[in-house]
Amino acid sequence: MSRPPFNARMPLCQLAAGATARICEITGDESFVQRLREMGFGEAALVTKISGSKTSLCHVNGTRLALNHDAAMSVLVELLPLGAR
Amino acid sequence: MKLPPHISLPEKKRVAGPERSPVYAMVGNPNCGKTTLFNALTGLRQKVGNYPGVTIEKKIGEAYSQHGRPMKVIDLPGAYSLAARSPDEAVLRDVLLGRRADTPQPDRIICVVDSSNLERNLYLVHQILDLGRPVIVVLNMMDVATTAGHLIDPKKLEESLGVTVIPCEAVHHKGLVELRLAMSRADLPLARHRWDVPAPIAPAVADLQASLVQYDTRSPLVARAEALLLLTDFDSVRVAGSTPLSSRTIEILASWRKRWEGEGTDWSATLIRSRYEAINRLCADVIRRTREQGPSVSDRIDAVLVHSIFGWLFFGAVMAALFFSIFTLAEYPKNWIDDHMTALGGWVQGSMAVGDLRDLLTHGVIDGVKGIVVFLPQILILFFFVGLLESTGYMARAAFLMDRPMSKVGLHGKSFIPLLGSYACAIPGIMATRTIENAKDRLVTILVAPLMSCSARLPVYLLMIATLLPSTTVATTTKVGLMLLMYAIGTLGAFGFAWLFKRTLFKSAPPLMIMELPPYQRPRLPEITRQMIERAWLFLKNAGTIILGISILLWFFSTYPKHPDPSATPDAQIAYSLAGRAGKILEPVIKPLGFDWRIGVGLVTSFYAREVFVSSMAVIFGVESKDDNTAAIRDALRSAKWPDGAVLFTPLVCFTLMVYYVFAMQCMSTVAVVKRETNSWRWPLFQIAYMTGTAWVVCFVIYQTGRALGF
Ligand SMILES: Nc1nc2c(ncn2[C@@H]2O[C@H](COP(=O)(O)OP(=O)(O)O)[C@@H](O)[C@H]2O)c(=O)[nH]1
Repeated sequence: MSRPPFNARMPLCQLAAGATARICEITGDESFVQRLREMGFGEAALVTKISGSKTSLCHVNGTRLALNHDAAMSVLVELLPLGAR
Repeated sequence: MKLPPHISLPEKKRVAGPERSPVYAMVGNPNCGKTTLFNALTGLRQKVGNYPGVTIEKKIGEAYSQHGRPMKVIDLPGAYSLAARSPDEAVLRDVLLGRRADTPQPDRIICVVDSSNLERNLYLVHQILDLGRPVIVVLNMMDVATTAGHLIDPKKLEESLGVTVIPCEAVHHKGLVELRLAMSRADLPLARHRWDVPAPIAPAVADLQASLVQYDTRSPLVARAEALLLLTDFDSVRVAGSTPLSSRTIEILASWRKRWEGEGTDWSATLIRSRYEAINRLCADVIRRTREQGPSVSDRIDAVLVHSIFGWLFFGAVMAALFFSIFTLAEYPKNWIDDHMTALGGWVQGSMAVGDLRDLLTHGVIDGVKGIVVFLPQILILFFFVGLLESTGYMARAAFLMDRPMSKVGLHGKSFIPLLGSYACAIPGIMATRTIENAKDRLVTILVAPLMSCSARLPVYLLMIATLLPSTTVATTTKVGLMLLMYAIGTLGAFGFAWLFKRTLFKSAPPLMIMELPPYQRPRLPEITRQMIERAWLFLKNAGTIILGISILLWFFSTYPKHPDPSATPDAQIAYSLAGRAGKILEPVIKPLGFDWRIGVGLVTSFYAREVFVSSMAVIFGVESKDDNTAAIRDALRSAKWPDGAVLFTPLVCFTLMVYYVFAMQCMSTVAVVKRETNSWRWPLFQIAYMTGTAWVVCFVIYQTGRALGF
């Protein structure tokens, strides 16, 4: 798979609605991070943002998950190059 | 029960000790259809209780094997992982690990899985297979998976895991026979599944396992699973009623944790990743996706219902419909009940001889109970709405929308679900806080939930509005407006106190929320109806027993001792009675709010439950009223006077009294639930103090300002 030299990382809350990205890093409260991972919201998972700027609604692994603003800030994603999916 | 010999004999050999049927535990993620399956499997043979120490529902049902032998099934709370983050999940974990003395450790486990979301659901299954017990995996919602284009091969899953796998559609009762058959088997296979615990963790697992076997009397297999769990869970959420770990094990756990923190490695992340890797390999084998996933029906509905404009419009419409039906639709059944109870009172009055017994029946019993039963329709409507919002999946969307406003007071969207539910009743509302992971956020939500105007306040509001506004000349909109004002005051109060508590007593980092939005479902009317009937029954039972008892007692206390002068006015009689004397002691405290001792008696009796205020007023003012007919309480209240002849229930007093009921903590059941839920007397007592204190202060300000302005 060819990738552009680098991908911009951004917090999940800044991802545009409709865009799909790969989760690269989750920071913050340990037990919360663990719960995210256990729900399939872990590193390397693909996430599609459905809507929301303050509270984010996303699709991961076939489920709709809502994250509040602070939670979405702690998830860093990198945008997938178009057509990589 | 007599069994065919070829079945019972080999079984006897296998089961040590007296022959007993196996105990099954049912586990699964939230919304996987576990409740539906449990109901289908056990029918109505269920017992609902509580786990002592925590208000978490404990449901035990009975299913019958193919040979008609009863088998116990325990329905455990839904959870995403055995590594507990909330009390609900801690109960699940502790029952499965045999840490609870009040519940038998299940012999076998039924894992219910949502097939349309297999990866995520298999995470819990993966943890459970480690327990080394016979497991049946139920692939529920096969229809949903097929529609979404996932073809799942149960046989392949069975081969890879080594346990019995049964495809099923719980709502359509498909696969139940196969499940029963599997449950009846004496020899369920054990999991063959193996996954490699990441090598660097292995020493820690071995260490903890040894300690669990030695100091916590676990069997080696359970100890291994528990050791793995401890390394992600760190025993951080404990619940009352579970046996705690031995101090030795806790020490070992802490030392490993410290060592890892020093090294800067994150082993819990590694563990989770390695489980997911194993699951992904498995799924690649088992699932064939027939097409690329497009937006589902739920996605398309969500595009509107969580939209930043249309979503709010819809939400507003739902709330408007809710209040509209409480205030207008409920009028018809209410009048019907009122008429019939009044007719009954009239009949008793006419057919009995004058005397204390007749007074007791008409004023004590019938008036007291009628005052309460007429509110049944409104309460049913409230529960119908809340049930509708929950069963369609809209509740989670409302929570999503409310997340932003809630964040302003330091809570997140999930806290909104208990608050909305508290419009019906604070008790289910408070129980719904169990899904809030953060302990401080949960406590704040519990503390403010009773400020949301519950259905028990409706009787008080309605009586006061009726007394305040003459029914003929004032438009209904004014009454509805006044009522909405009370709801608004309560709601604002709840948010205000949440804000205050989060800034003072319960300072914590901004809350983090992750919440699953389940697919939309058609409302399950039978389920909603069942809940409504349950609630109605509870309410009527209360009205027929305790509230009736309070009414009779109150009648007694306000009738005796008899005034020495038999020709004393009823006013003088009640003032002379025990209730009157008690009320007078209280009067100095509430006089600044414009309340006299008779209202004081009502405040005291309605500490049991708010609606008792109405029946108490009926008894007190009924005893007093001169005409012998069961006159409407309202008219009796309107004609009540202070000793100096001033009207008691002035509009200002009626309004103040309503506000008093908005804030004051007047509900024994809530106190009891808060005590159980927080496991201490501290918080319920604090709650009584702050709510009733606020009520007094606010009422004082309103009444004194009102007086100063000449009302
Ligand atoms: N289509 C479909 N829906 C199901 C099936 N099983 C359960 N449901 C629905 O899924 C929803 C959640 O079920 P419930 O039993 O409350 O889930 P729980 O949270 O796991 O107890 C309900 O609306 C059920 O009617 C199934 O096999 N197929």
